[in-house]
Amino acid sequence: MPRNRTVRLAVLGNSVQRAASSGYPSSRSSALKRRIVVGVLVLLSLVLITVSFRSSALDGAQGTAAGILRPFEIAADRVSRPFRDAVGWGRGLVDAKAENKRLRSQIEKLRAQVIQDESAVQENVHLKDQLRYHGPPSVANFDRVNAVVLTNPQNAIDQSVTIGAGSADGLRSGSVVVSSSGGLVGTVDRAFPHVAHVTLLTDNQSAVTAIDLTSPTAVGIIQPGGGGNSDVLVLDLVSKSKYIGVGDTIITAGSLGKGALPSMFPRGIPIGTVTSQSSNDVNPFKNVQVQPLVDFSSLQSVIVLVPKK
Amino acid sequence: MSGLKAALVLFVAALFQLAVLTEYRQFRTASIVLVALLAIALLRGSVFGAVAGFGTGLLLDVATLGTLGVTSLLLTVFGFWIGRYGETTARDRFHAPFLSVATVTGLYAFGQLGLQFVLGQPAPAGLVARGLPLALLLNLLLTLPVYALIRRLFPPLELGDRVREVRLLG
Repeated sequence: MPRNRTVRLAVLGNSVQRAASSGYPSSRSSALKRRIVVGVLVLLSLVLITVSFRSSALDGAQGTAAGILRPFEIAADRVSRPFRDAVGWGRGLVDAKAENKRLRSQIEKLRAQVIQDESAVQENVHLKDQLRYHGPPSVANFDRVNAVVLTNPQNAIDQSVTIGAGSADGLRSGSVVVSSSGGLVGTVDRAFPHVAHVTLLTDNQSAVTAIDLTSPTAVGIIQPGGGGNSDVLVLDLVSKSKYIGVGDTIITAGSLGKGALPSMFPRGIPIGTVTSQSSNDVNPFKNVQVQPLVDFSSLQSVIVLVPKK
Repeated sequence: MSGLKAALVLFVAALFQLAVLTEYRQFRTASIVLVALLAIALLRGSVFGAVAGFGTGLLLDVATLGTLGVTSLLLTVFGFWIGRYGETTARDRFHAPFLSVATVTGLYAFGQLGLQFVLGQPAPAGLVARGLPLALLLNLLLTLPVYALIRRLFPPLELGDRVREVRLLG
């Protein structure tokens, strides 16, 4: 700035004309207008929370809107799938050799197991017929609806997914959801016409009666592991007198229930394998940790069990 | 026109987040929608930020079939707040988007937790606290490319308008 100019002159006496521009919209708007806009939006959000949480009045609108979004989500999934597959392929190469060896030895064991199991199943069917035995429903008593997973859990707190099938396909609240490999995933929480919200087994509010396949008298409740760690489930309330071995498979117990309230989970859906078990003098029950069969973090598609038509 | 552009950008960001980022557990804590929204709010101001935040939150709540209004409430408040920061002290400061994203990432995570708690849902604070450093890192890494892209789409407004609020004394 030249020495003979004051600050005031420098600013007010500037000969350069300020260009007329569109301006900073929010700066131009008055503080009152700004506060009204944000106040209305916050109020609207609070009203939405209240109505959505306390009633099902908005379910229809939400379901319709989610149905409109579904094609976009499926399109985005299809566009991104080649990239995801490429990443998965790259990862698979790293441990392919070791996995191949492990799987070969597993096939040998399973081949022998299948022969035993098939004869046991035949014997079981025969004996059930003779006894006219009525047990809890099994997976075979349900129809299967295949559904694409539209959204996976959004953050650490969220333990739910949305799927691309709904009440129009026979889904209803409480329908059991399994993975394509057959492992238990969770239950349908809310069913809209073409989409549904599924609460995962790892949600803190989930609990499933389960048994040890090897030792069926060891009955307990499968719950998410401590701290919301979705890698670990806990088989709780198992009596200390029951034997549970590491590596045992845990399956849903199912039950006929009393009156009209049988277990919503059919018997025999695999949940996971026991990774550790311990007991101490303080806790009256065993401490059993279970590794889920399903990777809840990246589900691509699921199967929903619906009553047969 | 700006509104339409912002709606399109945030819609694409939401789809990317829902279809891609959440597929990978390690990236689940990142939120490209949050970063994009804050960048737009910084460049276009508080009212724009609040409206964009409300719309984006509603979109996410609908897509995930969550409780309507929860994400809207948080994103409205943060969109407004960062927009106001952009209108006042943040102008042309290199660190503004990074500071905004870092601050809001933490507040957003605990805001969600607080709302879950108020609604009587499980609110594992330890889990959120443990995931926060990774969320901060990923969101800050996303900030540079996302802000650069959004700055191209929403160029900063004229310098003349920026001194509008300066009062000459004497």
